[in-house]
Amino acid sequence: MPLNEPETSLISRRSLLRGGLSLTAAAGAGPLLSACSGGSGSSDGVAADGTVTITMWHGQADQGKATLDKLVADFQRRNRKIKVNASSGGVLADSMLQKITTALSSGQYPDIAYIFGPDIASVARSPQVAHLGKFTKEPSLRWDDFYPAARDAVTVDGEARGFPALVDNLCVAYNKKVFKAAGVPEPTASWSWDDFVATARSLTNPSQGVFGTGWPADGGEDCVWRIYPMIWDAGGDIVNKDGTKVAFDGDSGLQALTTINQLGKDKSVYPDTKPGSETMYQIFSNNKMGMVATGPWQLPDFVDNKTEYGVVPLPTYNGNPVTIAGPDTWTVFDNGSARVEAAVKFLTFLTNGAQDVQWASQAGSLPLRNSTAESAGWRKHVSSTTGLDVFSQALGYARTRPTIPTYPKISQPLGQAIVKMLLDKATPQDALDEAVQTANAALATG
Amino acid sequence: MTMQLMGREPRRRFLPFSPWHLVLLPVSLIFALPLFWLALSSFMTNAQINRFPPTIIPNSLHLDGYRYVLNNALFPRWFLNSVIVSVVVVFGNLVFGSLAGYAFARMRFRGSKLLLTLMLGTLVIPFQITMIPTFLLMKYLGVIDTLGALIVPSLVTPFAVFLLRQFFLSLPREIEEAAWMDGCSRLRTLWVIVLPLARPALGTVAVLTFLTTWNDLAWPLIAINNDHNYTLQLGLTTFQGQHRTQWAAVMAGNMITVLPVLIAFLAAQRTFIQSLTSSGVKG
Amino acid sequence: MKRLFGETPDAWGFVLPSVVIILGLSIVPMIWSLILSMQSSDLVTPARWLGLTNYRVLSHDPAFRAAVIHTLVYTVLFVPLSIAGGLGLALMLNRRIRFIGLYRTMVFVPFVISAAAQGVLFSFIFDAHFGIANAILSWFGVGPQGFFADSNQALLLLVLIGLWSGLGFCVVVYLAGLQDIQQELLEAAAIDGARAWGTFRYVVWPALRPVTIFLAIWETLQALQLFDLVFVTTRGGPLESTTVIVFFVWNQAFQLFNAGYGAAAAYVLAFTLLIVSIGLRFARRNQTEEVGG
Repeated sequence: MPLNEPETSLISRRSLLRGGLSLTAAAGAGPLLSACSGGSGSSDGVAADGTVTITMWHGQADQGKATLDKLVADFQRRNRKIKVNASSGGVLADSMLQKITTALSSGQYPDIAYIFGPDIASVARSPQVAHLGKFTKEPSLRWDDFYPAARDAVTVDGEARGFPALVDNLCVAYNKKVFKAAGVPEPTASWSWDDFVATARSLTNPSQGVFGTGWPADGGEDCVWRIYPMIWDAGGDIVNKDGTKVAFDGDSGLQALTTINQLGKDKSVYPDTKPGSETMYQIFSNNKMGMVATGPWQLPDFVDNKTEYGVVPLPTYNGNPVTIAGPDTWTVFDNGSARVEAAVKFLTFLTNGAQDVQWASQAGSLPLRNSTAESAGWRKHVSSTTGLDVFSQALGYARTRPTIPTYPKISQPLGQAIVKMLLDKATPQDALDEAVQTANAALATG
Repeated sequence: MTMQLMGREPRRRFLPFSPWHLVLLPVSLIFALPLFWLALSSFMTNAQINRFPPTIIPNSLHLDGYRYVLNNALFPRWFLNSVIVSVVVVFGNLVFGSLAGYAFARMRFRGSKLLLTLMLGTLVIPFQITMIPTFLLMKYLGVIDTLGALIVPSLVTPFAVFLLRQFFLSLPREIEEAAWMDGCSRLRTLWVIVLPLARPALGTVAVLTFLTTWNDLAWPLIAINNDHNYTLQLGLTTFQGQHRTQWAAVMAGNMITVLPVLIAFLAAQRTFIQSLTSSGVKG
Repeated sequence: MKRLFGETPDAWGFVLPSVVIILGLSIVPMIWSLILSMQSSDLVTPARWLGLTNYRVLSHDPAFRAAVIHTLVYTVLFVPLSIAGGLGLALMLNRRIRFIGLYRTMVFVPFVISAAAQGVLFSFIFDAHFGIANAILSWFGVGPQGFFADSNQALLLLVLIGLWSGLGFCVVVYLAGLQDIQQELLEAAAIDGARAWGTFRYVVWPALRPVTIFLAIWETLQALQLFDLVFVTTRGGPLESTTVIVFFVWNQAFQLFNAGYGAAAAYVLAFTLLIVSIGLRFARRNQTEEVGG
């Protein structure tokens, strides 16, 4: 029997102290530290003096953030009763969807968030996304001044759920140096897909490591949206009217996939498997790729890299110009009517006239409103950037993807089909059939 | 090739030239490859980095990236946040992990097997699913968008408990039994006798826990909104735009993030070499 | 009281803080996920109860089956290689020669580099058209490989990269374990005339057993939960050849808004591990028991 065994209490005092201290520290530090930060989303945001505070997660960094900060300061100067807490939300726009989903499911969400166009329908499943129908009817808002593509992008089930944030579209940028080196004439506005394929082939030079064109091959959205102008051109569509079946299962889809497959077979296309599509544009900028379909956002990059480029509209099958617009949205969330109203006021300001020009020029985007496009400020900006006028004009005939929550279930199988075409791993018919089957099955389960 | 006997002299004695260098150098270089690439890139301009195929050796060095990073007003704050979170988490893991690991290793008690299995079991559900309910819990505790949200869930981890348990198991029991017989309480035994012997293990837990916390991006991304509360990793992502990335700044930022850790690791190599334990087995 | 309860009260005092934090903070997520797995939920609208339907659909889902196979292939390759590699490197690094600290630090570098940076680096190196890897292979007369663009190679490539970034961890743990081995045992073995292999086999390897067990379990859990590397390099491609279970879960929950389905997939993994570990416990009953479980 051990002598002098010291009494040990049930829970040793030391560990209790340590444990208690740490937990208290963690819990206490929490509110302490939150007092230092801005904090997000308090209950109804209306202070005693009537100042409404709204929170915006803009998902922007660098240039975009700087511009927004300026615009926010501008707005707050003119509207003393509204305070805007603008931050990136801790994410870049690419990760915003995951962040918002988490926020919505926990009941703590901002008032405005930057949501990609194809995602807004999914996010809008949540009853906490604001309904802006009554606001858009207000004539002072001039809702019709927005381009149709921009309006469609924020309209779910016939009602606006946010404001347009950014519009763009797809045109083809071509590298003048590469064309000259290959002795190929530069493309013209009214070219066909056959022209495109042939040009790509003649530009491709394996010994020099030069590709005719490039296409993202990660199966993601940047890979998929490029095929839609081809499908629309060939007479098809993405889904049928009630969203129950895909509408590219016939000749339209086959023709589009065959064209892409031809590029893959010719090995004239660089399949960019790395997510983010940056490599593809780097190759173009470094004069190793002849042409690539891209949006106006890429132009500042070309300018920085001193690439000699030109821009032409997308090629067509039938001569009717068609392209796709990929608008992004400022989705508005419902944290009470006072905050929704304040958010609408802010967003109206943000998308009006001079602000629109500022935002669009720094983002490498296009004006959201017809009136902005005609303004002197925008005209000046367009004239200083090569190719921007082509994009600007294309807005007139750009179409958008449908804002339905089941869109991702169509996009993913189609993405796989395109990748198969780029890597030449299947016949167009087989790839199409599989994609259609998978997509329709997914649509059927709703 | 005999195994080097350790700890004979307090100062290191090196062989004049060991053939092992011929093996270790190339092997280490393979592992250290990205560090060189990172270091080189951090001294390039965006234009140089954007070249394709990539520039391996730049023909000129620039500090653009570093300037960009250090001009960012919030960068020191992010650094501080990361340090606070990592240090507190390491401390918690060392303290609570030792206590629990020791109990699992040396004490017989009801439910010990079950508890350990349960703790390991919590690792099985992937983070992508548990992050939302964890977010809800942190919201309930009121620590979302504060450093508390980053600290509390990681204050002690199954990794620390499990690893320390395994180390304690591999120590010879005789020393502790002697102390126990002499009337030392379990706690004192742990504190005075076992922990000093377990310095390599503690150092390992400290380093690995520090790094895991320091590098964590996925959870801070979800839990933090305000840019004053970003950790370093989260802050670095703001140098990447939606379509354009400030690569030089990203590389410079990564260097600033990585270098202090590596230097500390290098300096701490001494603690990985256990001090003499002559007490040993003798009675 | 001590006679009645043994050490149980003391021991519980020791483990209580860890239990509270680890189990306390995990119970709610585990139950929440379990419930989610039995619902049809997109996380933002009220969920619909489905019972076991998600599990039934999963058992017929070829994409899930593929994800399971990919994960198993990765795990079966990754775990033994990382333990063997980690031990081998640790033995090499466990000596006092000049620069040993530097070598150890260099081996550890990958662990310090963020997954995103690794993704960028390896995508460059293994680019099918412009990457250094193919350039080096061409020196040896080997034709250009598809690497990340080849659905037969991508997964194996991920194993290699995973090993490259994960070995540092095993090395550090094994180094600590090697330091722990009592001097006297090594000296006794040397006196008895044991040479390197003998000492290793009869002194070092058994002494490292708890550490090896730890690493085996830990690395298996890591391999089964592979996500970050896939996310930054292949996004599950090409042609879904690197879609592993956790990527499948993430895709279902955050891209397709089928969170309930994703949770069910996660729980299939969990239940499988549970069954395996119970099986292992029964097997261990036949061997000598360790103290404390």
